[in-house]
Amino acid sequence: MALIRADGLSKGYRSGDSLVRALDGVSLDVPQGAFVVLAGRSGSGKTTLLNMLGGLDRPDSGSLVVAGHDVLRMSRDERAAFRLHHLGFVFQAYNLIRVLTARENVAYVLQLRGMEKRQRLALADRWLAEVGLQGFEHRRPDQMSGGQQQRVAVARALAASPDLVLADEPTANLDSHTGANLIALMRHLNEQQGITFVTASHDPSVIAAARTLVTMQDGKIVDLREG
Amino acid sequence: MFALAWRNVLRNLRRSLITVAAVALGLTSLVFLWGFNDGVHNTMMRNLQEVIVGSLQIHRQGYFRHPRLVDTLPEPERVTGQLHQLGVERLSYRLRTFALAAGADTSEGLVLLGMHPAMEQRVTRLAGKVDQGRFLRDNQEAACVLGKTTARNLGLRLGDEVVILTEDRFGSLAAEKLRLVGIISSGEMGIDRGLAMVPLGFMQRMLGMEGAVSEIAVQLTRERLEPVTVALRTSLDAGYEVLRWYDMYPMMKQWVELENAFYYIFLSIVLLIVAAGIMNTVLMSMLERIHEFGVMMALGCSRRYLAGMVLTESMLLGMTGVVLGTSAGLLLVHYFHAAGIDLSGQMASVARFYVNPVVHTEINTDHLLHTVLSVLLASAAAAIWPAVRAARLEPVEAIHHV
Repeated sequence: MALIRADGLSKGYRSGDSLVRALDGVSLDVPQGAFVVLAGRSGSGKTTLLNMLGGLDRPDSGSLVVAGHDVLRMSRDERAAFRLHHLGFVFQAYNLIRVLTARENVAYVLQLRGMEKRQRLALADRWLAEVGLQGFEHRRPDQMSGGQQQRVAVARALAASPDLVLADEPTANLDSHTGANLIALMRHLNEQQGITFVTASHDPSVIAAARTLVTMQDGKIVDLREG
Repeated sequence: MFALAWRNVLRNLRRSLITVAAVALGLTSLVFLWGFNDGVHNTMMRNLQEVIVGSLQIHRQGYFRHPRLVDTLPEPERVTGQLHQLGVERLSYRLRTFALAAGADTSEGLVLLGMHPAMEQRVTRLAGKVDQGRFLRDNQEAACVLGKTTARNLGLRLGDEVVILTEDRFGSLAAEKLRLVGIISSGEMGIDRGLAMVPLGFMQRMLGMEGAVSEIAVQLTRERLEPVTVALRTSLDAGYEVLRWYDMYPMMKQWVELENAFYYIFLSIVLLIVAAGIMNTVLMSMLERIHEFGVMMALGCSRRYLAGMVLTESMLLGMTGVVLGTSAGLLLVHYFHAAGIDLSGQMASVARFYVNPVVHTEINTDHLLHTVLSVLLASAAAAIWPAVRAARLEPVEAIHHV
């Protein structure tokens, strides 16, 4: 059974007098354990699709089922709870909470889930070690490099054992070496632990790592290749 | 949430410190002003009770409105027994009538108040107000104590004879010659002029009213006044009236309440300023973090959680200000309670209102609680708008907010 089943998703934005179609009838099935890369130029609709898969944005039409939940029928609060329990996010600009340490950032989602403090901090430490940041637990975001911050973001996305990790241009702010390491880490987690990744990127190293490559243009899927 | 909110408060330390300082300063001023206000009011009320009136008085029903010599208190020993059962020991028997006092060349109408010297000194501070001579000593002695103004009007000096003319219980003329043993200077017009104090036993004998009293004056702590009044009104029958000091002299209580109402208006104005300061800080802080709120929403934070965090930040600012402001205010109140604020230059003529020219600050618990809770409520109210704005953010727009 598909982890994601999107059917005919469309979304338009009004820009002045004209209507811009950010998504135009996108249908996509993503099985459990996939490593999908959404490729395409800026404005092709990758981020809009990613936002919809994460329940952050709503389409004008279409249907979307993620992990067995009809996302479009949910209220705002239900979607927040859905994200908390089923999804992990990795953002282009890391987006760690500035006042929290690395370990607290990772443990934050677990705290929102109501996990007991000692347990969540232990789990956070384990995931920081998993992404190669042992010894960085007590550093704040401004005391770490971009690559380290993005690794913390990956650990945060994975610590709560989500069904699906959505990553939006995760390597865009990293140098090529750090970016390649990050993608290798994501692939490793995908292969070893079966975590499903959907990543929007136009970075060639990310595209090269795709097991399923979805190419988008003008809000449509124009190519879909299994790697 | 608390730890995160606390760190968010510390994020812009200078701004938070300014806000906390404003709250603390406002609260310090309020607590000190309440301290001054309550100091003046409580002293007034205590003076009224302790100088002459007592906390409560027990009379025959209707006596206070229409005092007549013959309307004496029925079975005073029974009432005393009831008071003892309630644990009340500070009580005094008094007999009251109107009389004419004559000096060497002139005479003056006044209230003749018979009081048991020993009992009276347990209830009021009249003895301490004697300026010249002494207070009444022997319950049977032919002696009197006059107010300073009356003594001057009658041209009397300490040791002079005073002739008292009045009616006895049968309406016959009664006259006695007494020795002026003390002159009181209380500053209060009703005592310094128009009052002659004589021993109760002597007065009872003079009027042919042995054992009779017009009133029992009782001194109580503020906390005990209401329960004792209720208990007495329940246990005594309709032949008695039990009147608290403010039942007899309501104007002072009304004046105090009026002034307190003014302070509450002042408190409201300060609260508005405090709330505006906190709201400015919390709103600025919220607007600076819209992007972060978007990320938190993406991670699964509910709208209620975000609103709660903004509210917590506001409450933390308010509570820190409250702790500092209350502490500083109470320190000031404590210091000036002991040291006093000497306003004798400005308040020379207020003694007639039972006000002491040296004000010793003190604060009533209810006023302190109202003030502290109001500031905390204002802190919470100040966060409502920023909290609602945070809760209404759209995740996608918030994440892309720069």
